Amino acid sequence: MAEFTKQDIGKLLAKQGILIAFAVFIVGFTIANPKFLTIDNFENVVRSSAILGVMALGVTFVVISGNLDLSVGSMMSFSTIVVLDLHDKLGPTLAIPAMFAMTLCLGAFIGILVGYLKLNSLIVTLGMLSAIHGLTLTYSGGKNIDIADKEGTWFAIFGQGNVMGIQTPILIFIALAALLGIILAKTPFGRKVYAVGGNGTAATFSGIRRARVVFLCYIMSAFCVATAGLIQASRSMGSQNTVGQGLELEVLAAVILGGASLLGGSGTIFKTVIGVLILGFIQNGLLLVGLDFSVQYVVTWVIIILAVWLDIAAKRGKLMSPIA
Amino acid sequence: MKLRTLIAASTATAAMTFAGMATAETMRIGITQNNVGVDSYQTTYEKAFIAAAEANEDVEVVVLDAGGDVARQIAQMEDLIQQEVDAIIIWPTNGEAVIPAVRKAHQAGIPVVVTNSNIAEAGFAFVASFSGPDNITQGIRSAEIMCDRFKDLGIEDEAKVVHITGQPGYTTAIERAKGFNDRLPEVCPNVEQIDEQPGDWNREKSQQVMEAFLVKYDDIDGVYSGDDNMGVGAMNAAIAAGREGITFVGATNFAVGYEAMAAGTYWGSIYQSPVDDAEAALKTAIDLLNGEELPFLNYFDTPKITQDNMGDYTKPVF
Repeated sequence: MAEFTKQDIGKLLAKQGILIAFAVFIVGFTIANPKFLTIDNFENVVRSSAILGVMALGVTFVVISGNLDLSVGSMMSFSTIVVLDLHDKLGPTLAIPAMFAMTLCLGAFIGILVGYLKLNSLIVTLGMLSAIHGLTLTYSGGKNIDIADKEGTWFAIFGQGNVMGIQTPILIFIALAALLGIILAKTPFGRKVYAVGGNGTAATFSGIRRARVVFLCYIMSAFCVATAGLIQASRSMGSQNTVGQGLELEVLAAVILGGASLLGGSGTIFKTVIGVLILGFIQNGLLLVGLDFSVQYVVTWVIIILAVWLDIAAKRGKLMSPIA
Repeated sequence: MKLRTLIAASTATAAMTFAGMATAETMRIGITQNNVGVDSYQTTYEKAFIAAAEANEDVEVVVLDAGGDVARQIAQMEDLIQQEVDAIIIWPTNGEAVIPAVRKAHQAGIPVVVTNSNIAEAGFAFVASFSGPDNITQGIRSAEIMCDRFKDLGIEDEAKVVHITGQPGYTTAIERAKGFNDRLPEVCPNVEQIDEQPGDWNREKSQQVMEAFLVKYDDIDGVYSGDDNMGVGAMNAAIAAGREGITFVGATNFAVGYEAMAAGTYWGSIYQSPVDDAEAALKTAIDLLNGEELPFLNYFDTPKITQDNMGDYTKPVF
């Protein structure tokens, strides 16, 4: 009986190595600064991770389908700037759907290029990274966009409001994660995403319309980006044109840290959420410990490598092994 | 063969004559900017520069933008040298990497004016003049604004300050931080700076840094940020956390900072106008070409602005 339990735990650990790593960091940071483990701080971290997190949910679909999306950072800047600008021109009720429509168009465009024209997703989205940045700058003329009347609008609820004491960005993140988690794990569409990413040719021969699946993954990614832009805009009520710059790599890091394969075919929404939280807590923890920023850059890298190693080690069942 | 040489020679002569005629009447000044459109400051700068050049009949300008790309800026420097402009103004994308291109212009006999942010000291020998804000003085003035406010509030002997800097490695960020860090203990020796972290010129990043500071420290009396964009981010974090009575001081007064000052939640900043910046750069180049003696570091003034005197200044356009 004891043997059986031990094996059971072993299997559990093997599946959730990233959770072990997560727990280790939480304990480590709490020892370094007890204020790390306060409810206020946790809420702060989850709230500020929500923007990155929402984007990572969409990118998880894209990555599992065997593609990349490097355009999400500048697309988020675009959504943020557009919704802020339209807020004062059309009012929030019209500005939000208009911004979603425009962002989804960008997603559809990428989806057509990668899905139907079968262009390399790295090239397409890398190109879109700068193309969308240019589009944003053209749209705004490079100026910071701020909502003129910050007090007299209900627009703040998405970034600053709360429902029953829980802040809205956190609720949006949880709700979207639950919804997309179910879509990915429990629906035929979700299984098609895995199939396309696992072996595209086999999927095509099984009658899956591969192009359409890839196209829809980019649409979902754009939807998530638009949601993130909405939270961002509502949180600061004003923005620079570069607000999302560099986020594409953080998003990708979170998704990969969560265990999704860059080659496609594997990954889950739950693990992406853990990946997002690990990145968020590392950033916050290092600030609370008060290390010099130059040291922080290095330590961040060390922690990420440690997390990936613990994850792999748990799968292998030992810390070092010549074969994975 | 002969014919070809002849054509080449005559074309060259024609070009020289044309160039000669052009110089006799107008000054041709080329500018390669850092990254127009990336923020409102640089966008306004470009507009003001073109407007100032159009207002002056004696000047013809070639306006280029490097888009933040060092390689492109170096290529643009070479283009301007090829075009034999009379003077080149450069807003460096990188203080080190552009030095060889600046040297090349210097060797070609074209005076180079560096605008806004200076290049590294190794390249000073090739620069005719620097025109821009004095970032160390800006840091010093921010420290004085902060200290004066603490004295008004009667907390100059116990106040605690946190400091949010610009992007690590940027000359502007380093100089402002140095000015502030050196000056604050001189004017307010009992004020303690308890933490310093970068906000990367980014409002969202700065807000996250400030949230962590608010968790970490129960007592914060003042926040100095390397620009108002980050300052407003920090202020939003404090407001969201319900922490009151914090004095926020920034630099480069942005419209959001100005509005927050009007609303009474933000205390002070440094007024730096991109229009003054652009006009100063053009004037420096023109003065050089007219053979005037100029100081190497040709600063334009960036005064203190606080809730008390903000009525003297118009709201920044960026």
